[in-house]
Amino acid sequence: MSSYILFLLLGLGSGAIYAILALGLVMKYRSAGVVDFGHSAVAMFIAYVYFGLRTEGKLELPWAILPHEITITGSEMGNAPAMIAALLYAAVLGLVMYLLIYRPLRHATQLARICASVGILLYLQAIAVLDFSSNPKSVPTILPDSPLHFAGVIVPVDRLWFAGLVVVLATALWSTYRFTRFGLATRAASENEEGAAVIGLSADRIAATNWVLATVLAALAGILIAPIATIQPASYTLFIVPALAVALVARFQSFAIAAAAGLILGMLQSEVTKLISVIDWLPKEGLPEAIPFIVIVVGMTLVAKGMRARGEIVVQRNPSLGRPSRPYVTTAFCFAVGAIALVLLQGSLRFALISSFVWICLALSLVVLTGYVGQVSLAQMAFAGVSAFALTHITGQLGIGFPFSFILASLAAVPLGIVIGLPALRLRGVNLAVVTLSAGLVLDSLVFNWTWFTGGLGGTKVGNPSLLGWNLGISSGNAYPRVIFGIFVLAVVCGIGLLVARLRRAPAGRMMIAVRSNERAAAAAGIDVNRTKLLAFALSSWIAGVGGVLFAYTQQTVSPPTFEVFTSLGLVAIAFVAGVGRIGGAVFAGIMMASTGLFVTFLNREFNIGKYQLLVAGLLLTITAIKQPDGVAANPPPPLVHAWKWLEARLFYKSETAQASSTVAASAGSEH
Amino acid sequence: MPTDVAIAPRLEITGLDAGYFGQPVVRDLNLQVGAGEVVALLGANGAGKTTTLETIAGLYAPIAGTIAMDGSEIGGRATHKLAREGVSLVPESRALFNGLTVREHLQLARTGGNDLPTDAVLEMLPELEKCLARKAGVLSGGEQQMLAVGRALVGRPHLLLVDEMSLGLAPIIVERLLPILRRVATEMGTGVLFVEQHVPLALQVADKAYVLSHGRLVLEGMAQRLRGESELLRASYLGDEAAEKITALPVGDRRNGDTEALPPKGYEEPSDRGAPDVGDGLGSETDRGTQHT
Repeated sequence: MSSYILFLLLGLGSGAIYAILALGLVMKYRSAGVVDFGHSAVAMFIAYVYFGLRTEGKLELPWAILPHEITITGSEMGNAPAMIAALLYAAVLGLVMYLLIYRPLRHATQLARICASVGILLYLQAIAVLDFSSNPKSVPTILPDSPLHFAGVIVPVDRLWFAGLVVVLATALWSTYRFTRFGLATRAASENEEGAAVIGLSADRIAATNWVLATVLAALAGILIAPIATIQPASYTLFIVPALAVALVARFQSFAIAAAAGLILGMLQSEVTKLISVIDWLPKEGLPEAIPFIVIVVGMTLVAKGMRARGEIVVQRNPSLGRPSRPYVTTAFCFAVGAIALVLLQGSLRFALISSFVWICLALSLVVLTGYVGQVSLAQMAFAGVSAFALTHITGQLGIGFPFSFILASLAAVPLGIVIGLPALRLRGVNLAVVTLSAGLVLDSLVFNWTWFTGGLGGTKVGNPSLLGWNLGISSGNAYPRVIFGIFVLAVVCGIGLLVARLRRAPAGRMMIAVRSNERAAAAAGIDVNRTKLLAFALSSWIAGVGGVLFAYTQQTVSPPTFEVFTSLGLVAIAFVAGVGRIGGAVFAGIMMASTGLFVTFLNREFNIGKYQLLVAGLLLTITAIKQPDGVAANPPPPLVHAWKWLEARLFYKSETAQASSTVAASAGSEH
Repeated sequence: MPTDVAIAPRLEITGLDAGYFGQPVVRDLNLQVGAGEVVALLGANGAGKTTTLETIAGLYAPIAGTIAMDGSEIGGRATHKLAREGVSLVPESRALFNGLTVREHLQLARTGGNDLPTDAVLEMLPELEKCLARKAGVLSGGEQQMLAVGRALVGRPHLLLVDEMSLGLAPIIVERLLPILRRVATEMGTGVLFVEQHVPLALQVADKAYVLSHGRLVLEGMAQRLRGESELLRASYLGDEAAEKITALPVGDRRNGDTEALPPKGYEEPSDRGAPDVGDGLGSETDRGTQHT
């Protein structure tokens, strides 16, 4: 019995971190309307700053490549000065981030804000890996951790310190918001920005102050947990998932609920790790990580009514959509160009081009879901992964041959897509992004850890596809990568692209766009909103599944890390930057931006800068979200537009004179 | 009592083009509100009344022209700064904080200067007294509007801008609320500019009225006088089709120019701008505090 209590108490440590991070998330949302996915990434970065100061007396700056270390004392720093310096640093960083990123986004769409914060997450994560490597760093203790006898068990006393700190912070925040003019003003501004302005309150200054405070809180959490958790980029950054779960339970409003829910979640997780060791049939991996997801789904889908909308001056706008005007001709043209490129390119570049095709397919899954229906999914790679692993089983154990194995495996993602889409019937925007992110993490840590399903870290081999004895695979003897495989992938992706283009103007597509614009109005016009959303999720997960299967054929071995949750975030990032409402955007994302795609591979081969892909993608994502929320494809660079016009005039002049004259510059983005 | 008899009018708008994304909705507007004066801004839907008010309040930057309060330019300044300097807007949406109580609204609106105590607000709007501890979100429409007005009065504004107070309210409440504007102007020397769809009511309360049509000023005059010109008002509301009727009416002096903006039937805008001769014959309710310069 006592060991159960021990684990409960041990969980107070991580619980406190969830709670403190969630308090910051609540502050940021209430004051600036931003659900900051990069919140814990900031905590992670500041933990490294603290680590640098504490161990070497060096101040780390938030960038790579350029010199990023300032030597201050050159030797170990005391705990208190290092901590104070790190917290001040966090305050400055928070202010700069608010002014540069979130303030310009105050009137942007929620999607743009999500993407900007995901960009920050990717950026800081990449910086941390580049500057500090992903090896865990351990830090000397901060809080006293002498053993304490409590309820018949011996626990480190720091756990109680953590719990006490959470209670103090939550009480302080609650009373500040309740009783001070600053708190009253924050509440007022979050209720109604216009109302705040007409009585002389600057919503901007209020938000900036809150943002700084929340960043300092995040930093505090990051520093304090360091001795227990060891600092490591990925695990720290992923604290965001439980923290978001907690903040969602608190409906991004209540400090008291956030504090309590955080502590309880931490204790639950800890208790589950104990139960795993006792109960045989529980899965050994990933169950603690699954708990936030369960909390979110139970808390959001079944109980709560969702997040309160904030009163904002400007009506939110969705990303603009392309209008594919000649889908068949364009598809044929793209197929021809792709095939020629396949023949012309050799070796690693040909492989990169094929990878680009696969990324295009994955990005197209987001065009349907995020572009057409406006639903954010941060779990696309999980869909792809399920299909990829399903393929290994369908071809391996079941022995089903190529075209059928391909179809069945891609369809394997659909039920999952529908299940993850179910919360979307009640949630929208940010809430949905949180749910899908945590679902992706559950699949990542639970399902992809089932060795029987994935074959463990080494992965599972995938046989080459062959049709009527004709080998379509990527390799045959020494030939690798083969053109015929490229043509096969290209054909599939062109088919998907054509489908997505046709959908744009089909009745189902119009329903989707109606739902995206205004769910109530769509329902009033006789559209079944739930069915439309689920259809979109099903279609999107199927397309992602196709991408996963193609991925498997391309890689020949599927292993779990390929489909981890950061890859999903990266996919959303590049799809959004390139233009998530357009097929041209997906093409741009696949060819120009994907980490294994043509352009990055080329850059990497010529200049050896591939390791900066995530960093650049994160940065670009944030900048695009601010500067060009419709994506690159909506406003392509002028030289591209001219090139396309020139081509178009020659290609289509004879057959479709009338139409060609009516197309505008935007067609360069929307056509292919 | 209006102690500070202004040298410059409370509000003076000259040649204002206002609109969105550089597209003017209101063109070449000239308008004045004196201290202690109550001025109605009238016109059909889409005439540009709200745009005008919101531009004065700083929610949008003016495209061209000047907006001056007490002689100093305020065009394009941020709303919250203007609010602290005495420009108080009661927006059409009322823009209340649904989760805050009535008392909190009145507390939050304090500027730290010579504020109106809560008691004084309640004395003007006694209906608010019984709901001081209730949240704005659960108030009735009429109570919400009173709160919006009350909140705007806390800082003793120099200029009070009220947008469609009567929207969605029963006429009896409007009859109750509109005279408060008169009281504010008289007691605090505030210049009041209000948008109203209920024309007869508006003209009862106002000293002066301006009528906008399609973003142009088509009619202005002392309220007393416009009250007798219902035909003229109707014509200005109906716009193009009725324009001929306006030209047919004998109204004061006419401004020249601007013909291209209005109906293509040789119509010229009637104007009472700066015509002190209509100042006589004002009713007792309107003859105080009307200062023209």
